[in-house]
Amino acid sequence: MRVRIVSIFVSDQEAALRFYTETLGFVKKLDIPLEGGNRWLTLVSKEEQDGPEVLLEPAPNHFEPARVYQSELFKAGIPFTQFNVENVQQEYDRLVNLGVVFSMKPTDVGTSKLAVFDDTCGNHIQLVEVL
Amino acid sequence: MTYYTAEVQRISKVVYANQRQVDAVIAVKKYIDRHYEGTLSLDHLSKTHFVSKYHLLRLFKKYYGQSPKQYTLSKKIEKARELLKAGGSVTETCFAVGFESMGSFSVLFKNRIGMNPITYRKRQLSRSSGAR
Repeated sequence: MRVRIVSIFVSDQEAALRFYTETLGFVKKLDIPLEGGNRWLTLVSKEEQDGPEVLLEPAPNHFEPARVYQSELFKAGIPFTQFNVENVQQEYDRLVNLGVVFSMKPTDVGTSKLAVFDDTCGNHIQLVEVL
Repeated sequence: MTYYTAEVQRISKVVYANQRQVDAVIAVKKYIDRHYEGTLSLDHLSKTHFVSKYHLLRLFKKYYGQSPKQYTLSKKIEKARELLKAGGSVTETCFAVGFESMGSFSVLFKNRIGMNPITYRKRQLSRSSGAR
């Protein structure tokens, strides 16, 4: 069995695609129409285009427990998932310049440096630099 | 402060209570990041941080979840992948990342990546040239 997909719940797939590609820098991989206007929409890291895919899942629009789960995580400030970066401070500076809002500024936590931002699609996302 | 931020602080106070230890293992990791292609020696690090080499190895595993040896191997394999993707020969790559023999490089690479370096290189190059 291989690990291929990381899921992120999003309230609007098109808006999420724009944010994740134009602001965060991911690259669209698969965009397959399904039913009801939904898409199998995945992204990959620009640096690892054959690596794991991020699946932008519209679950909160279709399944109440998913909406509640996403909403409660968000209210508590809990990141839905995290991404690794070489330098959290640099990434923070770049994203703040692009208007991204952070709930946790770059913070040393033991052997990692963390930061948490709002992805505008219902989630907090954590950035991690392994020190 | 969010619930999450408070939890991170609470957990950090328990897990990372000893900042001196954290600083020591971070120094070891940074040293490995700079010198993994060559011979590693933790002697001067253990002197600088006033801990025995044995203790330093144990602490590294405690905080990073793997031994310095395992971490060094990961760095070598990661670099080897980059070099092979860029078209480097298997022989050059093997010695550039600090393996002592083609045999050991091949076996370790296949173990980690699921295919031997020759096959990996062929696949990467055919992908980038668009041939299938």
